[in-house]
Amino acid sequence: MEVEIVTPDAQLFQGEATLVQLPGTNGSFEIMNNHAPIIASLVAGKVKVLDKANAAKYFDIKGGVVEMTKNKIIVLAE
Amino acid sequence: MANLKEVRNRITSVSSTSQITSAMKMVSAAKLRRAQDAVTRLRPYAGKLREILENLSSSLDASDGGQFSVKREPNKILIVAITSNRGLCGGFNANIIKLANRLLHDDYAAQNKKGNVKFVTIGKKATAYFSKTPGAVVSSHDSIYDALTFNNVAPIAESIMDQFVKGDFDKVVVLYNQFKNAAVQLAVNEAYLPVEAAPTKSLKKVASVDYIFEPEKQSIVQDLIPKSLKIQLYKALLDSQAAEHGARMTAMHKATDNAKDMLKELKLTYNKARQAAITNEILEIVSGANALKG
Repeated sequence: MEVEIVTPDAQLFQGEATLVQLPGTNGSFEIMNNHAPIIASLVAGKVKVLDKANAAKYFDIKGGVVEMTKNKIIVLAE
Repeated sequence: MANLKEVRNRITSVSSTSQITSAMKMVSAAKLRRAQDAVTRLRPYAGKLREILENLSSSLDASDGGQFSVKREPNKILIVAITSNRGLCGGFNANIIKLANRLLHDDYAAQNKKGNVKFVTIGKKATAYFSKTPGAVVSSHDSIYDALTFNNVAPIAESIMDQFVKGDFDKVVVLYNQFKNAAVQLAVNEAYLPVEAAPTKSLKKVASVDYIFEPEKQSIVQDLIPKSLKIQLYKALLDSQAAEHGARMTAMHKATDNAKDMLKELKLTYNKARQAAITNEILEIVSGANALKG
């Protein structure tokens, strides 16, 4: 699935991934391939992106929102 | 005929001025590109945020904006005036001040009489102008241009939202120069608070996707509205910055052109004066020689 992490100042990440872990308002959760459409708000924490080679990338965010539709994840971070 | 030395001095001063203005034009052009890049970088974020908000609000009532969409009788007005820190940019700052004065004397004349129109100024030019009225400026943020990032702008937006929620103000508008292109800026008056209900024209189109919401829809909307307000202010500032550099570039370009025209005229005057002086000298020598011949 395609993942895009954008902040107002820059684009942090764009690319293919197999798993994204997010700090949700109701607790940390993961989105995997072909997840159902979801919109969730996020709190401060780390976003973990696992790419195809199973290498993990971490991004610090201060809050935000995530949207997943049609196997595409967009994280609007702050 | 002007004296030679005088003209020469003016030529030197005009040509050095034109060098300065053309250098300033170059600098503004470079800064304009950077400012435009910043606007472009923000665009995907702002676009996505609006899209998500539209997705959400299509199935919610317009009143779900919570405390930010409370409409009150507009007794107390806050005007956020965005100008630049520096001058030499044509009518850039004057346009904002003119627009603010028009609001003061037409739209909000009644509130102004009671002293209920306050200002948040961003940029030294606005601060200097509106500080002339005692007590009119609530806060000013001139140093924001040193590092114009989202994280620096967010606290300003937060404090404005706080004051609105507390009831210090019933209506907030933002005045800034919108960037059309490098030569054209448009002074605009944008409503900031209360939040207007998003236009529901795309309602049918987006209603098809069945989202899972976490937590529930309502609280996501209430989480997103402050975010989009911060983005709105940030976007206004970036726009204004790009417009400022555009305005300065145009102003400096015109100044350089004018200096060149002036230089041309001065050179002509200088050469005429020089020729006249030579003619005079020759006349004197010839008549002197003639007198000697007797």
